[in-house]
Amino acid sequence: MVSWQRGLWLFFVPSFGLLAVVLLWPLGYAIYLSFFDYFLGTGTRTFIGLGNYIELLSEARLWRSMWTTIIIAFGSVALEFAVGFALALALYRLNSSAKVFSVLLFLPHIVTPVVAALFLKWMLAANWGLVDATLLTFDITPPDWLGDPLWAKVSVILADAWIFTPLIMMVLYAALQGLDASLIEAAQIDGASNWRILRHVIIPALIPAIIFTISVRLMDVFRFFDLIYVLTGGGPGTATETITMYTYQLGFRMLEVGKASALGVITLVIVAALLLSINRALNSIYRGGDR
Amino acid sequence: MSAADAPNRRRRDTWLIFIALSVFTVINLMPLIWAVLTSLKDPRDAFTIPPTIIFEPTLEYHRQVWFENDFFVYLKNSLIVSAGTVLISVPFGSLAAYALSRIPRRSAGPILSALFTIRMFPHMLLAIPFFVMGTFLNLIDSYILLILALVAINQPFTIWLMHGFFLDIPRDLDEAAAIDGCTSWQAFRIVILPLARPGMTVAALFSLLLSYNEFLFALVLTGTSTKTLPVAIASFGGEDISSWSLSAAGAIGIMLPIVVVMLLLQRYLVRGLTAGAVKG
Repeated sequence: MVSWQRGLWLFFVPSFGLLAVVLLWPLGYAIYLSFFDYFLGTGTRTFIGLGNYIELLSEARLWRSMWTTIIIAFGSVALEFAVGFALALALYRLNSSAKVFSVLLFLPHIVTPVVAALFLKWMLAANWGLVDATLLTFDITPPDWLGDPLWAKVSVILADAWIFTPLIMMVLYAALQGLDASLIEAAQIDGASNWRILRHVIIPALIPAIIFTISVRLMDVFRFFDLIYVLTGGGPGTATETITMYTYQLGFRMLEVGKASALGVITLVIVAALLLSINRALNSIYRGGDR
Repeated sequence: MSAADAPNRRRRDTWLIFIALSVFTVINLMPLIWAVLTSLKDPRDAFTIPPTIIFEPTLEYHRQVWFENDFFVYLKNSLIVSAGTVLISVPFGSLAAYALSRIPRRSAGPILSALFTIRMFPHMLLAIPFFVMGTFLNLIDSYILLILALVAINQPFTIWLMHGFFLDIPRDLDEAAAIDGCTSWQAFRIVILPLARPGMTVAALFSLLLSYNEFLFALVLTGTSTKTLPVAIASFGGEDISSWSLSAAGAIGIMLPIVVVMLLLQRYLVRGLTAGAVKG
Protein backbone atom coordinates (compact mmCIF):
# COMPACT_ATOMS: atom_id res chain seq x y z
CA MET A 1 0.00 0.00 0.00
CA VAL A 2 2.79 2.42 0.84
CA SER A 3 4.41 2.15 -2.56
CA TRP A 4 0.96 2.34 -4.10
CA GLN A 5 0.24 5.57 -2.28
CA ARG A 6 3.49 7.02 -3.49
CA GLY A 7 2.15 7.15 -7.05
CA LEU A 8 -0.64 9.43 -5.83
CA TRP A 9 1.46 12.58 -5.85
CA LEU A 10 1.32 12.55 -9.64
CA PHE A 11 -2.42 13.25 -9.34
CA PHE A 12 -1.60 16.65 -7.88
CA VAL A 13 0.57 17.74 -10.80
CA PRO A 14 -2.02 19.15 -13.26
CA SER A 15 -4.01 21.09 -10.70
CA PHE A 16 -1.18 22.40 -8.54
CA GLY A 17 1.00 23.06 -11.58
CA LEU A 18 -1.76 25.22 -13.00
CA LEU A 19 -2.28 27.01 -9.70
CA ALA A 20 1.45 27.73 -9.45
CA VAL A 21 1.67 29.16 -12.96
CA VAL A 22 -1.68 30.95 -13.15
CA LEU A 23 -2.15 32.07 -9.55
CA LEU A 24 1.03 32.12 -7.50
CA TRP A 25 3.30 33.47 -10.21
CA PRO A 26 0.98 36.42 -11.01
CA LEU A 27 0.61 37.03 -7.29
CA GLY A 28 4.37 37.19 -6.92
CA TYR A 29 4.55 39.42 -9.98
CA ALA A 30 1.94 41.78 -8.50
CA ILE A 31 3.94 42.05 -5.27
CA TYR A 32 7.06 42.75 -7.35
CA LEU A 33 5.22 45.41 -9.40
CA SER A 34 4.01 47.10 -6.23
CA PHE A 35 7.57 48.35 -5.63
CA PHE A 36 7.69 50.18 -8.96
CA ASP A 37 6.36 53.42 -10.30
CA TYR A 38 4.96 51.87 -13.43
CA PHE A 39 2.71 53.67 -15.91
CA LEU A 40 1.51 51.14 -18.45
CA GLY A 41 0.63 53.82 -21.01
CA THR A 42 4.27 54.69 -21.76
CA GLY A 43 5.86 51.62 -20.20
CA THR A 44 8.28 53.62 -18.03
CA ARG A 45 9.17 51.67 -14.92
CA THR A 46 11.31 52.89 -12.01
CA PHE A 47 12.00 51.16 -8.72
CA ILE A 48 10.70 53.23 -5.80
CA GLY A 49 10.76 50.71 -2.95
CA LEU A 50 7.87 51.28 -0.57
CA GLY A 51 6.98 54.54 -2.32
CA ASN A 52 3.58 53.34 -3.55
CA TYR A 53 2.59 52.10 -0.11
CA ILE A 54 3.63 55.34 1.58
CA GLU A 55 1.83 57.43 -1.01
CA LEU A 56 -1.35 55.36 -0.75
CA LEU A 57 -1.47 55.28 3.04
CA SER A 58 -1.19 59.06 3.21
CA GLU A 59 -4.02 59.58 0.74
CA ALA A 60 -7.47 60.69 1.87
CA ARG A 61 -9.07 58.87 -1.04
CA LEU A 62 -7.74 55.51 0.12
CA TRP A 63 -9.07 55.94 3.66
CA ARG A 64 -12.41 57.11 2.33
CA SER A 65 -12.66 54.04 0.12
CA MET A 66 -11.68 51.88 3.09
CA TRP A 67 -14.53 53.32 5.18
CA THR A 68 -16.96 52.90 2.31
CA THR A 69 -15.90 49.27 1.99
CA ILE A 70 -16.34 48.64 5.71
CA ILE A 71 -19.77 50.29 5.82
CA ILE A 72 -21.01 48.41 2.77
CA ALA A 73 -19.44 45.11 3.84
CA PHE A 74 -20.79 45.04 7.37
CA GLY A 75 -24.11 46.65 6.43
CA SER A 76 -24.84 44.12 3.74
CA VAL A 77 -23.56 41.06 5.61
CA ALA A 78 -25.59 42.01 8.70
CA LEU A 79 -28.73 42.56 6.63
CA GLU A 80 -28.21 39.38 4.63
CA PHE A 81 -27.60 37.34 7.72
CA ALA A 82 -30.64 38.66 9.61
CA VAL A 83 -33.04 38.23 6.68
CA GLY A 84 -31.46 34.97 5.51
CA PHE A 85 -31.69 33.41 8.95
CA ALA A 86 -35.30 34.53 9.38
CA LEU A 87 -36.18 33.05 5.98
CA ALA A 88 -34.40 29.80 6.80
CA LEU A 89 -36.34 29.50 10.06
CA ALA A 90 -39.61 30.25 8.25
CA LEU A 91 -38.86 27.59 5.61
CA TYR A 92 -37.94 25.09 8.31
CA ARG A 93 -41.21 25.76 10.09
CA LEU A 94 -43.37 25.49 6.94
CA ASN A 95 -41.91 22.24 5.75
CA SER A 96 -44.64 21.28 3.26
CA SER A 97 -44.59 24.32 0.95
CA ALA A 98 -40.93 25.11 1.67
CA LYS A 99 -39.69 23.58 -1.58
CA VAL A 100 -41.57 26.04 -3.82
CA PHE A 101 -40.57 29.01 -1.69
CA SER A 102 -36.92 27.99 -1.58
CA VAL A 103 -36.76 27.79 -5.39
CA LEU A 104 -38.44 31.18 -5.88
CA LEU A 105 -36.40 32.87 -3.18
CA PHE A 106 -33.18 31.43 -4.55
CA LEU A 107 -33.70 32.82 -8.07
CA PRO A 108 -31.97 36.19 -7.53
CA HIS A 109 -28.78 34.37 -6.61
CA ILE A 110 -28.55 32.49 -9.91
CA VAL A 111 -29.10 35.55 -12.09
CA THR A 112 -25.82 36.83 -13.56
CA PRO A 113 -24.70 39.58 -11.12
CA VAL A 114 -24.29 42.16 -13.89
CA VAL A 115 -27.84 41.45 -15.05
CA ALA A 116 -29.14 41.57 -11.49
CA ALA A 117 -27.48 44.95 -11.04
CA LEU A 118 -29.22 46.21 -14.18
CA PHE A 119 -32.59 44.95 -12.90
CA LEU A 120 -32.06 46.83 -9.66
CA LYS A 121 -30.94 49.92 -11.52
CA TRP A 122 -34.22 49.92 -13.40
CA MET A 123 -36.05 49.61 -10.10
CA LEU A 124 -34.20 52.52 -8.50
CA ALA A 125 -33.70 54.85 -11.47
CA ALA A 126 -34.94 58.38 -10.86
CA ASN A 127 -38.57 59.12 -11.87
CA TRP A 128 -39.13 56.22 -14.23
CA GLY A 129 -37.87 53.37 -12.05
CA LEU A 130 -40.60 51.21 -10.56
CA VAL A 131 -39.94 52.36 -6.99
CA ASP A 132 -40.05 56.07 -7.86
CA ALA A 133 -43.00 55.71 -10.23
CA THR A 134 -44.95 53.93 -7.51
CA LEU A 135 -44.06 56.45 -4.81
CA LEU A 136 -44.85 59.39 -7.12
CA THR A 137 -48.27 57.88 -7.79
CA PHE A 138 -49.02 58.30 -4.10
CA ASP A 139 -47.49 61.80 -4.09
CA ILE A 140 -44.52 60.77 -2.02
CA THR A 141 -41.27 62.44 -3.06
CA PRO A 142 -38.69 59.67 -3.26
CA PRO A 143 -35.04 60.14 -2.28
CA ASP A 144 -32.45 60.18 -5.04
CA TRP A 145 -31.55 56.48 -4.68
CA LEU A 146 -28.42 56.44 -6.81
CA GLY A 147 -27.51 60.15 -6.90
CA ASP A 148 -27.36 61.03 -3.20
CA PRO A 149 -24.11 60.00 -1.43
CA LEU A 150 -25.87 58.44 1.55
CA TRP A 151 -28.77 56.80 -0.34
CA ALA A 152 -26.37 55.43 -2.93
CA LYS A 153 -24.63 53.46 -0.17
CA VAL A 154 -28.01 52.21 1.05
CA SER A 155 -28.92 51.19 -2.50
CA VAL A 156 -25.66 49.26 -2.90
CA ILE A 157 -26.26 47.44 0.40
CA LEU A 158 -29.83 46.58 -0.62
CA ALA A 159 -28.63 45.36 -4.01
CA ASP A 160 -25.95 43.17 -2.46
CA ALA A 161 -28.54 41.79 -0.07
CA TRP A 162 -30.92 41.02 -2.92
CA ILE A 163 -28.30 38.83 -4.56
CA PHE A 164 -26.69 37.14 -1.56
CA THR A 165 -29.42 36.71 1.05
CA PRO A 166 -30.66 33.59 -0.82
CA LEU A 167 -27.25 31.99 -0.44
CA ILE A 168 -27.24 32.45 3.35
CA MET A 169 -30.86 31.31 3.53
CA MET A 170 -30.07 28.12 1.61
CA VAL A 171 -26.99 27.18 3.64
CA LEU A 172 -28.70 27.81 6.98
CA TYR A 173 -31.87 26.02 5.86
CA ALA A 174 -29.82 22.96 4.91
CA ALA A 175 -28.05 23.12 8.25
CA LEU A 176 -31.42 23.33 10.04
CA GLN A 177 -32.64 20.26 8.22
CA GLY A 178 -29.55 18.44 9.45
CA LEU A 179 -30.49 19.26 13.08
CA ASP A 180 -31.61 16.53 15.40
CA ALA A 181 -35.34 17.34 15.61
CA SER A 182 -35.73 15.39 18.85
CA LEU A 183 -33.67 18.05 20.65
CA ILE A 184 -36.21 20.72 19.70
CA GLU A 185 -39.15 18.50 20.60
CA ALA A 186 -37.62 17.74 23.97
CA ALA A 187 -37.23 21.46 24.67
CA GLN A 188 -40.85 22.09 23.63
CA ILE A 189 -42.11 19.39 25.98
CA ASP A 190 -40.09 20.96 28.76
CA GLY A 191 -42.07 24.15 28.03
CA ALA A 192 -39.23 26.27 26.65
CA SER A 193 -40.34 29.37 24.72
CA ASN A 194 -39.57 29.67 21.01
CA TRP A 195 -37.00 32.32 21.78
CA ARG A 196 -35.19 30.13 24.29
CA ILE A 197 -35.20 27.19 21.88
CA LEU A 198 -33.67 29.40 19.22
CA ARG A 199 -31.07 30.81 21.59
CA HIS A 200 -30.04 27.66 23.39
CA VAL A 201 -30.76 24.79 21.01
CA ILE A 202 -30.79 25.98 17.40
CA ILE A 203 -28.10 28.66 17.30
CA PRO A 204 -25.39 26.65 19.12
CA ALA A 205 -25.98 23.74 16.74
CA LEU A 206 -25.68 26.03 13.71
CA ILE A 207 -22.42 27.72 14.72
CA PRO A 208 -20.25 25.95 12.11
CA ALA A 209 -22.66 26.92 9.32
CA ILE A 210 -22.91 30.49 10.66
CA ILE A 211 -19.12 30.90 10.82
CA PHE A 212 -18.84 29.46 7.32
CA THR A 213 -21.44 31.77 5.74
CA ILE A 214 -20.21 34.93 7.44
CA SER A 215 -16.55 34.29 6.58
CA VAL A 216 -17.29 33.45 2.96
CA ARG A 217 -19.53 36.48 2.54
CA LEU A 218 -17.04 38.88 4.11
CA MET A 219 -14.33 37.44 1.89
CA ASP A 220 -16.48 37.98 -1.19
CA VAL A 221 -17.76 41.40 -0.27
CA PHE A 222 -14.17 42.66 -0.48
CA ARG A 223 -13.87 41.47 -4.01
CA PHE A 224 -17.32 42.40 -5.20
CA PHE A 225 -17.08 44.63 -8.16
CA ASP A 226 -19.72 43.90 -10.82
CA LEU A 227 -22.55 45.28 -8.74
CA ILE A 228 -21.03 48.67 -7.93
CA TYR A 229 -19.53 48.96 -11.41
CA VAL A 230 -22.97 48.68 -13.01
CA LEU A 231 -25.14 50.27 -10.32
CA THR A 232 -23.23 53.44 -9.43
CA GLY A 233 -19.77 53.18 -11.00
CA GLY A 234 -18.45 54.27 -7.60
CA GLY A 235 -20.42 57.48 -7.71
CA PRO A 236 -21.86 59.93 -7.07
CA GLY A 237 -18.33 61.36 -6.88
CA THR A 238 -16.57 58.68 -4.85
CA ALA A 239 -19.47 58.00 -2.45
CA THR A 240 -19.66 54.28 -3.22
CA GLU A 241 -16.03 53.78 -4.23
CA THR A 242 -14.80 50.67 -2.41
CA ILE A 243 -11.16 49.59 -2.25
CA THR A 244 -11.79 47.21 -5.14
CA MET A 245 -13.37 49.96 -7.23
CA TYR A 246 -10.47 52.31 -6.44
CA THR A 247 -7.95 49.62 -7.44
CA TYR A 248 -9.79 49.21 -10.72
CA GLN A 249 -9.66 52.95 -11.37
CA LEU A 250 -5.94 53.07 -10.61
CA GLY A 251 -5.01 50.00 -12.61
CA PHE A 252 -7.30 50.00 -15.59
CA ARG A 253 -8.35 53.63 -16.02
CA MET A 254 -5.22 55.51 -14.99
CA LEU A 255 -2.93 52.56 -15.90
CA GLU A 256 -0.85 53.13 -12.76
CA VAL A 257 -0.28 49.39 -12.39
CA GLY A 258 2.45 49.68 -9.75
CA LYS A 259 0.29 51.71 -7.40
CA ALA A 260 -2.73 49.53 -8.15
CA SER A 261 -0.72 46.40 -7.26
CA ALA A 262 0.30 47.96 -3.96
CA LEU A 263 -3.35 48.66 -3.19
CA GLY A 264 -4.21 45.05 -4.07
CA VAL A 265 -1.59 43.80 -1.62
CA ILE A 266 -2.97 46.09 1.08
CA THR A 267 -6.45 44.65 0.43
CA LEU A 268 -5.15 41.12 0.76
CA VAL A 269 -3.58 41.90 4.13
CA ILE A 270 -6.81 43.49 5.38
CA VAL A 271 -8.97 40.56 4.27
CA ALA A 272 -6.62 38.05 5.90
CA ALA A 273 -6.54 39.97 9.19
CA LEU A 274 -10.29 40.44 9.16
CA LEU A 275 -11.06 36.77 8.58
CA LEU A 276 -8.69 35.63 11.30
CA SER A 277 -10.22 37.96 13.89
CA ILE A 278 -13.81 37.15 12.87
CA ASN A 279 -13.16 33.44 13.18
CA ARG A 280 -11.57 33.94 16.59
CA ALA A 281 -14.38 36.16 17.85
CA LEU A 282 -17.15 33.83 16.69
CA ASN A 283 -15.38 30.83 18.15
CA SER A 284 -15.00 32.45 21.55
CA ILE A 285 -18.62 33.66 21.58
CA TYR A 286 -19.64 30.11 20.84
CA ARG A 287 -17.59 28.66 23.68
CA GLY A 288 -18.82 31.41 26.03
CA GLY A 289 -22.47 30.73 25.17
CA ASP A 290 -21.99 27.04 25.72
CA ARG A 291 -21.26 27.36 29.39
CA MET B 1 -52.98 28.19 28.01
CA SER B 2 -54.62 24.76 28.02
CA ALA B 3 -53.06 21.82 26.24
CA ALA B 4 -55.82 21.77 23.59
CA ASP B 5 -55.01 25.33 22.44
CA ALA B 6 -51.45 24.51 21.47
CA PRO B 7 -52.11 22.76 18.11
CA ASN B 8 -54.56 25.55 17.11
CA ARG B 9 -52.10 28.23 17.93
CA ARG B 10 -49.41 26.39 16.06
CA ARG B 11 -51.61 26.10 12.97
CA ARG B 12 -52.41 29.82 13.11
CA ASP B 13 -48.70 30.66 13.40
CA THR B 14 -47.96 28.47 10.39
CA TRP B 15 -50.56 30.36 8.35
CA LEU B 16 -49.12 33.71 9.39
CA ILE B 17 -45.65 32.58 8.36
CA PHE B 18 -47.01 31.32 5.06
CA ILE B 19 -48.67 34.65 4.27
CA ALA B 20 -45.66 36.71 5.34
CA LEU B 21 -43.37 34.56 3.24
CA SER B 22 -45.65 34.86 0.20
CA VAL B 23 -45.70 38.64 0.44
CA PHE B 24 -41.93 38.76 0.87
CA THR B 25 -41.38 36.45 -2.11
CA VAL B 26 -43.52 38.58 -4.42
CA ILE B 27 -41.77 41.80 -3.38
CA ASN B 28 -38.40 40.11 -3.66
CA LEU B 29 -39.11 38.95 -7.20
CA MET B 30 -40.36 42.38 -8.28
CA PRO B 31 -37.08 43.46 -9.99
CA LEU B 32 -37.18 40.31 -12.09
CA ILE B 33 -40.86 40.60 -12.98
CA TRP B 34 -40.43 44.29 -13.78
CA ALA B 35 -37.50 43.56 -16.11
CA VAL B 36 -39.50 40.90 -17.97
CA LEU B 37 -42.39 43.34 -18.37
CA THR B 38 -40.07 46.14 -19.52
CA SER B 39 -38.54 43.89 -22.17
CA LEU B 40 -42.03 43.32 -23.59
CA LYS B 41 -43.06 46.98 -23.52
CA ASP B 42 -42.96 49.63 -26.12
CA PRO B 43 -41.13 52.72 -24.72
CA ARG B 44 -44.41 54.64 -24.60
CA ASP B 45 -45.73 52.05 -22.10
CA ALA B 46 -42.46 51.83 -20.20
CA PHE B 47 -42.49 55.41 -18.93
CA THR B 48 -45.76 56.09 -17.21
CA ILE B 49 -46.81 57.20 -13.77
CA PRO B 50 -48.41 55.13 -12.30
CA PRO B 51 -46.54 52.17 -13.84
CA THR B 52 -48.70 50.12 -16.19
CA ILE B 53 -49.29 46.42 -15.96
CA ILE B 54 -51.78 46.31 -18.81
CA PHE B 55 -50.20 46.93 -22.18
CA GLU B 56 -49.78 45.35 -25.57
CA PRO B 57 -46.74 43.06 -25.28
CA THR B 58 -44.22 43.04 -28.11
CA LEU B 59 -41.33 40.69 -28.80
CA GLU B 60 -39.80 43.29 -31.10
CA TYR B 61 -36.95 44.13 -28.68
CA HIS B 62 -36.03 40.50 -28.13
CA ARG B 63 -35.77 40.15 -31.89
CA GLN B 64 -33.71 43.33 -32.26
CA VAL B 65 -31.23 42.50 -29.53
CA TRP B 66 -30.41 39.09 -31.00
CA PHE B 67 -30.68 39.73 -34.72
CA GLU B 68 -29.61 43.34 -35.12
CA ASN B 69 -26.85 43.29 -32.52
CA ASP B 70 -23.99 40.86 -32.02
CA PHE B 71 -25.55 38.92 -29.16
CA PHE B 72 -25.12 35.58 -30.89
CA VAL B 73 -21.38 36.26 -31.11
CA TYR B 74 -21.26 37.10 -27.38
CA LEU B 75 -23.27 33.98 -26.62
CA LYS B 76 -20.78 31.90 -28.60
CA ASN B 77 -17.91 33.50 -26.68
CA SER B 78 -19.63 32.83 -23.37
CA LEU B 79 -20.23 29.20 -24.30
CA ILE B 80 -16.61 28.65 -25.40
CA VAL B 81 -15.26 30.19 -22.20
CA SER B 82 -17.70 28.25 -19.99
CA ALA B 83 -17.11 24.93 -21.73
CA GLY B 84 -13.33 25.40 -21.64
CA THR B 85 -13.42 26.24 -17.94
CA VAL B 86 -15.61 23.27 -17.01
CA LEU B 87 -13.62 20.82 -19.14
CA ILE B 88 -10.31 21.77 -17.53
CA SER B 89 -11.49 22.62 -14.04
CA VAL B 90 -13.40 19.43 -13.21
CA PRO B 91 -10.85 16.78 -14.32
CA PHE B 92 -7.88 18.66 -12.79
CA GLY B 93 -9.79 19.27 -9.59
CA SER B 94 -11.01 15.68 -9.35
CA LEU B 95 -7.51 14.25 -9.71
CA ALA B 96 -6.10 16.45 -6.98
CA ALA B 97 -9.11 15.91 -4.71
CA TYR B 98 -8.89 12.14 -5.07
CA ALA B 99 -5.22 12.09 -4.10
CA LEU B 100 -5.99 14.46 -1.24
CA SER B 101 -8.65 12.11 0.11
CA ARG B 102 -6.27 9.12 0.02
CA ILE B 103 -3.09 10.54 1.56
CA PRO B 104 -2.72 10.65 5.37
CA ARG B 105 -4.86 13.25 7.11
CA ARG B 106 -1.91 15.10 8.60
CA SER B 107 -0.56 15.94 5.12
CA ALA B 108 -3.99 16.68 3.63
CA GLY B 109 -4.93 19.22 6.32
CA PRO B 110 -2.30 21.86 5.48
CA ILE B 111 -3.04 21.53 1.75
CA LEU B 112 -6.74 22.16 2.36
CA SER B 113 -5.92 25.22 4.48
CA ALA B 114 -3.61 26.52 1.76
CA LEU B 115 -6.43 26.12 -0.78
CA PHE B 116 -8.79 28.03 1.49
CA THR B 117 -6.22 30.84 1.71
CA ILE B 118 -5.98 30.95 -2.08
CA ARG B 119 -9.76 31.28 -2.29
CA MET B 120 -9.44 34.43 -0.21
CA PHE B 121 -7.25 36.34 -2.73
CA PRO B 122 -8.97 39.48 -3.95
CA HIS B 123 -9.62 38.98 -7.66
CA MET B 124 -8.61 42.54 -8.40
CA LEU B 125 -5.10 41.81 -7.13
CA LEU B 126 -4.80 39.00 -9.70
CA ALA B 127 -6.43 40.94 -12.52
CA ILE B 128 -3.61 43.51 -12.60
CA PRO B 129 -0.68 41.12 -13.23
CA PHE B 130 -2.89 39.13 -15.61
CA PHE B 131 -3.55 42.25 -17.61
CA VAL B 132 0.12 43.30 -17.64
CA MET B 133 1.34 39.81 -18.58
CA GLY B 134 -1.42 39.41 -21.13
CA THR B 135 -0.41 42.67 -22.77
CA PHE B 136 3.21 41.51 -23.07
CA LEU B 137 2.33 38.02 -24.30
CA ASN B 138 -0.23 39.47 -26.70
CA LEU B 139 -2.94 37.28 -25.18
CA ILE B 140 -5.51 39.98 -24.43
CA ASP B 141 -8.64 39.29 -26.46
CA SER B 142 -7.94 35.53 -26.59
CA TYR B 143 -10.01 32.79 -24.98
CA ILE B 144 -7.11 30.90 -23.45
CA LEU B 145 -6.00 33.51 -20.90
CA LEU B 146 -9.54 34.07 -19.62
CA ILE B 147 -10.21 30.33 -19.39
CA LEU B 148 -6.97 29.71 -17.45
CA ALA B 149 -7.76 32.56 -15.08
CA LEU B 150 -11.26 31.23 -14.41
CA VAL B 151 -9.99 27.67 -13.90
CA ALA B 152 -7.39 28.91 -11.44
CA ILE B 153 -9.74 30.97 -9.27
CA ASN B 154 -12.19 28.08 -9.33
CA GLN B 155 -9.74 25.26 -8.47
CA PRO B 156 -9.73 25.66 -4.68
CA PHE B 157 -13.52 25.35 -4.47
CA THR B 158 -13.63 22.44 -6.94
CA ILE B 159 -10.97 20.51 -5.02
CA TRP B 160 -12.60 21.25 -1.69
CA LEU B 161 -15.97 20.05 -2.99
CA MET B 162 -14.69 16.89 -4.70
CA HIS B 163 -12.55 16.05 -1.67
CA GLY B 164 -15.73 15.65 0.36
CA PHE B 165 -17.26 13.35 -2.23
CA PHE B 166 -14.15 11.15 -2.48
CA LEU B 167 -13.95 10.85 1.31
CA ASP B 168 -17.40 9.26 1.21
CA ILE B 169 -16.16 6.51 -1.11
CA PRO B 170 -14.72 3.73 1.09
CA ARG B 171 -10.98 3.14 0.93
CA ASP B 172 -11.60 -0.62 0.92
CA LEU B 173 -12.48 -0.27 -2.74
CA ASP B 174 -9.03 1.16 -3.57
CA GLU B 175 -7.37 -1.52 -1.47
CA ALA B 176 -9.29 -4.30 -3.17
CA ALA B 177 -8.29 -2.84 -6.53
CA ALA B 178 -4.65 -2.61 -5.42
CA ILE B 179 -4.66 -6.27 -4.32
CA ASP B 180 -6.07 -7.21 -7.71
CA GLY B 181 -3.01 -5.53 -9.21
CA CYS B 182 -4.41 -2.18 -10.32
CA THR B 183 -2.08 0.83 -10.37
CA SER B 184 -3.39 3.91 -8.57
CA TRP B 185 -4.40 5.40 -11.91
CA GLN B 186 -6.37 2.26 -12.91
CA ALA B 187 -8.05 2.10 -9.51
CA PHE B 188 -9.09 5.71 -9.86
CA ARG B 189 -10.35 5.42 -13.41
CA ILE B 190 -12.11 2.05 -13.26
CA VAL B 191 -13.31 1.78 -9.66
CA ILE B 192 -13.60 5.24 -8.12
CA LEU B 193 -14.51 7.59 -10.95
CA PRO B 194 -17.88 5.98 -11.81
CA LEU B 195 -18.89 6.36 -8.16
CA ALA B 196 -17.90 10.03 -8.09
CA ARG B 197 -20.18 11.07 -10.93
CA PRO B 198 -22.73 12.99 -8.77
CA GLY B 199 -19.86 14.94 -7.24
CA MET B 200 -18.49 15.78 -10.66
CA THR B 201 -21.92 17.00 -11.74
CA VAL B 202 -21.99 19.36 -8.79
CA ALA B 203 -18.46 20.59 -9.51
CA ALA B 204 -19.27 21.10 -13.19
CA LEU B 205 -22.42 23.03 -12.30
CA PHE B 206 -20.52 25.44 -10.08
CA SER B 207 -17.74 25.92 -12.63
CA LEU B 208 -20.41 26.69 -15.21
CA LEU B 209 -22.19 29.17 -12.94
CA LEU B 210 -18.92 30.94 -12.15
CA SER B 211 -17.61 31.11 -15.71
CA TYR B 212 -20.92 32.13 -17.30
CA ASN B 213 -21.51 34.89 -14.74
CA GLU B 214 -17.94 36.13 -14.22
CA PHE B 215 -17.43 39.79 -14.99
CA LEU B 216 -14.12 41.28 -13.80
CA PHE B 217 -11.66 39.00 -15.62
CA ALA B 218 -13.90 38.95 -18.67
CA LEU B 219 -13.95 42.75 -18.65
CA VAL B 220 -10.18 43.24 -18.54
CA LEU B 221 -9.01 40.22 -20.56
CA THR B 222 -11.42 40.19 -23.50
CA GLY B 223 -11.68 42.54 -26.45
CA THR B 224 -14.03 43.07 -29.35
CA SER B 225 -13.82 39.52 -30.69
CA THR B 226 -14.01 37.55 -27.42
CA LYS B 227 -16.40 39.68 -25.36
CA THR B 228 -18.71 37.54 -23.19
CA LEU B 229 -22.39 38.24 -22.50
CA PRO B 230 -22.00 39.98 -19.10
CA VAL B 231 -19.39 42.37 -20.53
CA ALA B 232 -21.59 43.04 -23.55
CA ILE B 233 -24.71 43.87 -21.55
CA ALA B 234 -22.78 46.09 -19.11
CA SER B 235 -21.50 48.23 -21.97
CA PHE B 236 -24.82 48.07 -23.78
CA GLY B 237 -26.49 50.74 -21.75
CA GLY B 238 -29.14 51.25 -19.21
CA GLU B 239 -27.93 54.82 -19.04
CA ASP B 240 -30.07 55.97 -21.90
CA ILE B 241 -33.67 55.38 -20.90
CA SER B 242 -34.87 55.18 -24.49
CA SER B 243 -32.97 51.89 -24.83
CA TRP B 244 -34.40 50.34 -21.65
CA SER B 245 -36.65 47.92 -23.48
CA LEU B 246 -33.77 46.79 -25.65
CA SER B 247 -31.31 46.26 -22.79
CA ALA B 248 -34.01 44.58 -20.72
CA ALA B 249 -34.54 42.13 -23.57
CA GLY B 250 -30.79 41.49 -23.67
CA ALA B 251 -30.59 41.04 -19.90
CA ILE B 252 -33.48 38.56 -19.89
CA GLY B 253 -31.84 36.66 -22.74
CA ILE B 254 -28.62 36.31 -20.74
CA MET B 255 -30.47 35.26 -17.62
CA LEU B 256 -32.73 32.60 -19.13
CA PRO B 257 -30.25 29.87 -20.14
CA ILE B 258 -28.40 29.82 -16.83
CA VAL B 259 -31.59 29.94 -14.78
CA VAL B 260 -33.10 27.04 -16.75
CA VAL B 261 -29.95 24.90 -16.34
CA MET B 262 -29.75 25.64 -12.63
CA LEU B 263 -33.43 24.94 -11.99
CA LEU B 264 -33.22 21.61 -13.82
CA LEU B 265 -30.21 20.57 -11.78
CA GLN B 266 -31.37 22.20 -8.56
CA ARG B 267 -30.79 19.26 -6.26
CA TYR B 268 -27.11 19.16 -7.25
CA LEU B 269 -26.88 22.90 -6.69
CA VAL B 270 -28.12 22.62 -3.12
CA ARG B 271 -25.68 19.78 -2.44
CA GLY B 272 -22.79 21.94 -3.55
CA LEU B 273 -23.87 24.99 -1.56
CA THR B 274 -24.10 23.03 1.63
CA ALA B 275 -21.04 20.81 1.17
CA GLY B 276 -18.77 23.48 2.59
CA ALA B 277 -20.94 24.32 5.55
CA VAL B 278 -21.98 20.87 6.63
CA LYS B 279 -18.67 19.12 6.23
CA GLY B 280 -16.26 22.05 6.63
